Amino acid sequence: MLRYTWKRLLTGLLALFVLVCVTFFLVRLMPGSPFQRGAVSEQVVEAIEEEYGLDRPLPEQFVVYLGNLLRGDLGVSYEDPGTRVTDIIARTWPVTATLGILALAAAILVGTALGILMAVSRRKAVREVISAGGMLAAGIPSFAAAILLLLVFSVRLRWFPASGLLSPAHYVLPVTALTLYPAAVIARMTGNTLAAELEKEYVLFARAKGLGTGRIIFTHALKNAWRPVLNYVGPASAYLLTGSFVVESIFTIPGMGREFVGSITNRDYTLIMGLTVFMGTVVILVNLITDLLGAYLDPASRRAYRRADR
Amino acid sequence: MSVLEVRNLNVQYHTEQGVCQAVCGVSFSVEKGEIAGIVGESGSGKSTAMRAVMGLLKRNARVTADEIRVSGESPRPGRNIAMIFQDSLSCLNPSVRIGRQIAETVRVREGCTWREAKKRALELLDLVGIRQPRLRMRQYPFELSGGMRQRVVIAIALACRPDLIIADEPTTALDAAVQAQILLLLRRIVRETGTSLLLVSHDLGVIASMCSSVYVMHSGEIVESGCAEDIFYAPREDYTRELLESAAGRTKDMRRPLSEGRPQADREEILLSLEHVTREYDSHEGVRDISLTLEAGKTYALVGESGSGKTTLARILSGILKPDSGSVLYRGREAAGRACTGKIQMVFQDPAASLNPCLTAGQALEEALRAADRSGVERETTRKMSTGEKKQIRRDRAAAMLEQVGLSAEDMGKYPGSFSGGQRQRIAIARALITGPELLICDEALSSLDAMTGSRILELLLGFQRERGISILFISHDLHMVRRVSSRVGVLYGGRLVESGRTKEVCSDPWHPYTRQLLDAVPEADPVRARKIRTSYVQEQDRGEKKDGCGCPFAGRCGYAMDCCFEETPGNYIFGSRMVSCFLYSQEHSGRRGEGYTMTSQI
Repeated sequence: MLRYTWKRLLTGLLALFVLVCVTFFLVRLMPGSPFQRGAVSEQVVEAIEEEYGLDRPLPEQFVVYLGNLLRGDLGVSYEDPGTRVTDIIARTWPVTATLGILALAAAILVGTALGILMAVSRRKAVREVISAGGMLAAGIPSFAAAILLLLVFSVRLRWFPASGLLSPAHYVLPVTALTLYPAAVIARMTGNTLAAELEKEYVLFARAKGLGTGRIIFTHALKNAWRPVLNYVGPASAYLLTGSFVVESIFTIPGMGREFVGSITNRDYTLIMGLTVFMGTVVILVNLITDLLGAYLDPASRRAYRRADR
Repeated sequence: MSVLEVRNLNVQYHTEQGVCQAVCGVSFSVEKGEIAGIVGESGSGKSTAMRAVMGLLKRNARVTADEIRVSGESPRPGRNIAMIFQDSLSCLNPSVRIGRQIAETVRVREGCTWREAKKRALELLDLVGIRQPRLRMRQYPFELSGGMRQRVVIAIALACRPDLIIADEPTTALDAAVQAQILLLLRRIVRETGTSLLLVSHDLGVIASMCSSVYVMHSGEIVESGCAEDIFYAPREDYTRELLESAAGRTKDMRRPLSEGRPQADREEILLSLEHVTREYDSHEGVRDISLTLEAGKTYALVGESGSGKTTLARILSGILKPDSGSVLYRGREAAGRACTGKIQMVFQDPAASLNPCLTAGQALEEALRAADRSGVERETTRKMSTGEKKQIRRDRAAAMLEQVGLSAEDMGKYPGSFSGGQRQRIAIARALITGPELLICDEALSSLDAMTGSRILELLLGFQRERGISILFISHDLHMVRRVSSRVGVLYGGRLVESGRTKEVCSDPWHPYTRQLLDAVPEADPVRARKIRTSYVQEQDRGEKKDGCGCPFAGRCGYAMDCCFEETPGNYIFGSRMVSCFLYSQEHSGRRGEGYTMTSQI
């Protein structure tokens, strides 16, 4: 298991390096300069560019950037001189991560609960409603869902505040908007895999040895049914943890998604790069964790990893 | 007072096709401490009736009965009644440790703590004859052998401290030697714990060796019941007689008609040969150093328990898998992949899994023809035709083929789901034969079918062999089935070919201890003799854990094992047409031999 983890970490680092290369040169290919603003004269722009080292050849800039990156220095934001990119991440990431973790937890809890209900309910109506509701929730794009939630629960009903993150009540609508899609997918997946799992003979045998339905579902069937769902939850949690631009803009939340889109329109090279590297690291780590977790849940592959270690 | 009392049990399935009566008006009873048996073909409603008693049927089944009583109470699974299923791999949860699966049963039954339940689980594992119970408790089902898993399932059933255990085909998935051990274990448990056992099987030999009273079931009804001796020696019903005859037919020779009028002239032509073929896996058994030859137009049989490498070997022979080392020669040429071995077709064990449920029978056959067409096997005859003509020809050939295997041309449009197991296997055979293969590999093709359907399919296969002169390779765990049909046989154990030779010689005079064990362990459909064989066969096995990779694979279970058997791997000792891989036949251990020395069995 350990060797496998190391191998995965190394390939992750390689992927990160490729990501840095590609974004670095793509960003430089974007037309326009970070300091090109309406009334600023040519000379001033060149002077500032020289100050930031942007006049030097691209390969040299790249080497310098890589050197700084290795020391953990992501540079200074061009748009907001004096603010370090790491500070911007430190400011926005907790907000985004809180939302993401809340949404992830809600999606897993609600999705799994609905999935179990869908698999075991004797009433056809319950199963159909969950299945159709899941399809609907998965089909609505997140901006539409966010605006709809805002209109109904904030503007019309005035149950929850519309913007900012001042109190726990502020979290409800954005978290709901983020949860809707993954919860729907998890519910449908869990429902289908669990229903298939409950048809298997070991469930019949568990009933024959006198276990109750609850025990069969929670200690036996769910463990096997969740393995395929995990393959979806991994990428979904990476998406949630890096922040959704749409949801953050609509609810005016000072999160990382908003910062990211802003940095692109401003040609803020260092900020784009810094956020990309950070998000890339999160995505790679989360996927590594889900892969390891998936392997851990499946005893056969766990033993295979152990054998490969020897 | 009887432990189980069932009167007038009816089960109806409500399906989309309408109502289907699976069990009608069945009554039976089991006395305390008794082993009772229910015997019948697959599809006779045995399992449905048992699951109805347990209350395990799905929602679409309607169960009515005048009375279902276990020791005077209603049946409560896990309390007064427990069940053992056929397939131990699928009835244990693959991702939960053995120990926990037993302990949770104890906990539910006794309402005790985990610690006490674990202690009881250890005792139970000991009771069912599993050594190193502490190690086994921490393992997962896939890490145990089939026989050991079935012991675990029995331990779980015992954890319920039931008045009655229902065993539904408990040994069908196991090979003869392991089957004998499990049956002995069940018998010992009934004696020691005083529980009653209701044994359900399609195998008359198993029933004969175990049961004191027997019920014969046929299409949802009990046609005859009585004590074992009456049923086996003086059957009253025609159906029982028919069953007994098909069981007795296991020793009838079916090869004889083959030798007459076979069109094959060059009798000794070698079709396919393996030389020192090895293919290793780290997860499961591969095959090691196997050499064998198949002759054209003959029947060869490979026998071995599950996990002995039979299937791996079949895949190497058919060209699906490539060996790690060694060579596969097809008609004397090196065979590389499917291109060279297109004239080899396979029939698999489970026709439900090997037929695509989305293709009709006709489509499956036409697809096989198209594939053969593409690989050039059929190209000569159809090159000049248009696509439409080719299609029509394919359709006609598929229809004709279906009729040859005993189905009708109307079945072309039906999906596999609407056929029975035997019919599906006929389709699988038709699919294999339609391309005109030279070699047909039947990988346990009959073992999922009951005795009667199986022998009908077997006759069909042998008929085709007579007609077309194709070679057949049977792969089976049932030595008694193959001894009737094959001219040569090879016995596999632990990935090694331990013995091979003419079937008649190998079966009448086994040389390798494992072959001997396989032959002895098969129970006959004769209560007196079957019971006797059971008791004389007892022989303590598992002489300590064997180190992996060295020594004879059978050493741990062998009654003749010497020290060298654990340390060195025996070579292949060849005596004429006979090959045996056992130190008993090596020069060092049985002495030097001169020119005209004739080897005899050393066991």
